[in-house]
This record gives sequence, C-alpha cells and structure tokens, in this order.
Amino acid sequence: MFGRHIRHQVAGLLDGELPLAERKRIEDHLAVCGLCRAEREQVRAGMSMLKHLPPAQAPDTIWNAIEAAWPERQQRSGAWFRQGFRPWFLAYAALVMVAAAGIAYWTRVHHHERQWEVVKIQVSAGGDKEPIRKVAGVGPGDWIETDAASSARIRVGQIGSVDVGPNARLRVVATSPLEHRLTLERGEIHAKISAPPKLFFVETASATAEDLGCEYSLKTDVQGLGVLQVTLGWVSFQWKGIESLVPAGASCRTRPHAGPGVPYFDDAPEELRNALENLSGERSFDTILRVARVRDTLTLWHLLARAGVSDRVRIYDRMAALTPVPADVSREKVLELDAKTLTRWKEALAWTW
Amino acid sequence: MVPLSDREVSPEIIADCRAGDRDAIRVLYDTYKDRVYSVALYFFHGDESVAADVTQQVFLKLITSIGQFKGDAAFSTWLYRLVVNACQDMARRRKSAAWTTERSRLEEFPMRGSQEDDYARAEDARSVRDAVSELPPKLRMAVLLRYFDDLSYEQMAEVLHCSMGTVASRLSRGHKRLADRLKSLIGAKG
Repeated sequence: MFGRHIRHQVAGLLDGELPLAERKRIEDHLAVCGLCRAEREQVRAGMSMLKHLPPAQAPDTIWNAIEAAWPERQQRSGAWFRQGFRPWFLAYAALVMVAAAGIAYWTRVHHHERQWEVVKIQVSAGGDKEPIRKVAGVGPGDWIETDAASSARIRVGQIGSVDVGPNARLRVVATSPLEHRLTLERGEIHAKISAPPKLFFVETASATAEDLGCEYSLKTDVQGLGVLQVTLGWVSFQWKGIESLVPAGASCRTRPHAGPGVPYFDDAPEELRNALENLSGERSFDTILRVARVRDTLTLWHLLARAGVSDRVRIYDRMAALTPVPADVSREKVLELDAKTLTRWKEALAWTW
Repeated sequence: MVPLSDREVSPEIIADCRAGDRDAIRVLYDTYKDRVYSVALYFFHGDESVAADVTQQVFLKLITSIGQFKGDAAFSTWLYRLVVNACQDMARRRKSAAWTTERSRLEEFPMRGSQEDDYARAEDARSVRDAVSELPPKLRMAVLLRYFDDLSYEQMAEVLHCSMGTVASRLSRGHKRLADRLKSLIGAKG
C-alpha cells in the first residue's frame, strides 16, 4: 500500500536535488506514509541545527607556513608570469624577447628541476669520514653509498628529499622533469616528496615504489627482501603487474621473485600480521578473516585479487560483515574482480582506513 | 548555508594559478581558506592545530598540482577532493599515532567570543559541534561539505567517489542523527 519507504532520500527532497519524476513519487509516498513524514521532519530539524555551527576563520599562520614551504619552482614561475605582456604594438619585439627569455628560463628551470644534490652527510662518533660541508651534485649513473657510521640527505630536484641511512647503497637512474628514479640496492631510505603523483620512483630487487604524493621509509637487502612503511599519503608498490596500494599508517613487505605482499596497518592485530607472513597456509587465511577489524579491510581488499574463487567468497562475506557494502558495489562484480567495482569499493572503504 | 559559499574565483584567476602566479594563488587561498579550514576543524572535532595542518597540506598540494586541473569540472569539486584526501590521510595518521582522544580535543576547543556572546548561543554551538563530531566520518564529511560549501549532490558524488543516491542517503542519515542527538535543543527552539 505504501510502496518503498523513502527515508534515505528525504535530504535530496529537502535540498531540491531530486529529478521531477522522483520528487513526485516521493511526495506521493509522503502523503500516505506517516513514518516517512516523521523522518522528513527529523532530517529537516537536523539541517536547521547546523545554523548554530559558526564558520571558523583560518589563522594567518597557515599562509606563513605555506609561504615558507612554497615550492621554488612555483616562486620562479610566479615571478616570470607576473611580468605580463606589453601593448600590442610592441608585440613582435616582445614576442622575440619572450621567446628568448622562455628558452633561457626553461633551460634554467628544467636543469634545476632535474638536479639532485647531496646536501648533508652526518658521521657519527667513531666514523672515519669527514662530513661533507658543501653541496655535491649527483646525476644519472652515480652511486651513493653510506657506511655503518654515516647517513646522507639528497635533495631530489625541486620535489623533495631522500634521507639515506647507514650501510645503504643506491644509484641515481633518472633525473628528468617528468621522472625522478633511483635504485635502492640495499639499506634504508626515507623519502619526503611534494609533487604530483607518479613523478618519483624507487626500485628495489623485488618491487618498485611509485610515489602518489607522500612520505615513506623503504628498506631492502640486495636480494629484494624488504618492507615499505608509509607515513603520509599513498604509495603504489608494484612488481610485474602486481600492485599494492599502501596508505599512511600501513606497511607492505616485499620478497624476492614474489613482489609486494598484502599491505597491513601497523596497528593491526599481531595475529593478522603474523598470518600474512605465511599466507599459503589455510590456517593463516582463517586467522586473518577471524581477527580482521573494520580498518583491516585494507588487507582483505588486497587479498580479494590474490585469492582463489572460493576464498574470494569468504573474503567478500567477511568484509560485508565488517562494514556495509555500498549500493553500487555488487557481489557478483566483486567476485569477478571487475576493476571499476573494486576501485569504487576501495574508495568507500578508504573512509575506514 | 554559510555566506562564504557565495564567493567563487573567476576562470582567469584559475588560469593564472595554473601559470604559477603567486598573487593569483593568494587570491584563491583567501577565497577558500576559511571553508577548507572550517571543514577540517569540524571534521577533526575542533582540533585547531590539526585543521591548520590539513589546510596547509591542501594548499601546498594545490600549488604543486593545479597544473593537472583541466577545467573539465568545477574548481571547487577538484579542491574538495584534495580536502577529502587530506582529511583521510590525517585521520590515518591520527589512528596510527594513537593521538589524544576525541573527547579531550573537544574539551580543548575554545569557544570563540563566548565571553561577549550570549551564553545560550555559545552553548547551542557547542552542542551542535559535539553532535557533528559524533557522526561517523563518511556522514560527517558529507554534512560538512554540504553546509560549508553548498556543493550540489552531483559535485559531492564526484568529490566523495560515490553515487548521488549515496550522497542523499548519507545526508539523510547524518541529519537524522544530528536531530536525534539534539532532541532537547530542537525542543527548546520549538
């Protein structure tokens, strides 16, 4: 008699965001359904309460901090562009000048953008190296190596820095404006990158870390046994078509000839972390499903694509029990590993990660 | 909605920002800073230092990546995607670092101007703020985006990577929970 209740659509009705036909259907339903009318009044009351929430003013210190951290590339660009263009009757002369200036500018900026520099070396007590006091440039093909008593900081063009821990060895592979890439043969680095995604890459023997705008630590041995730990943003950890997406607060191990494993949050239950070390065992899989928290859907989501069909069903059911599945994510599509569906689900789950 | 929503930047300013014009970026910052800060502030339970950190991260990200904004969507949609990402990142860091409990942060959140303002009004604001803080993150973000920037459901669907139906559902549930939590205040206001 009443048709389907419309309680989840009343905000759309009150905000005037429904198409006409939908609006008519809902109004017809409201005319005969007291429950939904009550719901509408509650939502309306909730909306009206927000007028008591005063907008806040951002403190001036924020802009000061932004200016202090302002990427140099933008500063130079701004200075150049602010000059603007001269009147049209000088167009030809201006064009020539601008073209010349542009070429010089491009050359200078892009040279600087791609330049890597060792800006700091620390030697602990007992070390046999003298600290480097001046900046030293490094380029493609150069090796950087630290001993047990030293560490270094490398400025990566204009986009960030890499701290190199003791006993590390790495090689600069590419320093172009479109790609900064290094190979970490062994040791530990801490990268802090402020740039558009997919500009900074670190290769190890068993995986490549692709920056998605982030800060992270990466440790590996020469065989490729290593671990990635992300502290800000996201990192895509890849090897031969396998990809693990690792958000801040999570880690991901990588193994020789196997590539990146399944990521897990650093505060995940110890049982889950131990079980991930031995994923081939049936009991490990059971343990992961049993102890996973809502936040550990990060781990379960990655397991979906790496499990057989029957295990995939169990993973889906466990995830659905932990947190509601969005309406536009169908069970069938998930089990088929439909890429768009999995991405949509990941986006929704990311709120809990 | 708050009056700040009426302010937008022109396509020319956006173009200048893409070209790296620092003054244009300052204009853009001045236009959106309070909205971004307000969303972050109420999303993080009134923690001013976290809200400032999120706002700074959003605009630094904007400066380095505005070249990727192609103008095929509303600028605010693109900006608020950065805000949502920054809030999610910060929330993860807070979870991992086992930060101060939400309750204690709320108690630290000062009542701006409460000494001069009417006491009852300040109390109302505190009640609503507490109620917003208790919403689950997905509902909280939807409510704040709608309130502080009056984004359309279509824009919110793009920002939140979900369908318009899901936006409607989150807003319905969010506002209903606010009403439940604020029953006494609603009753007093008639």
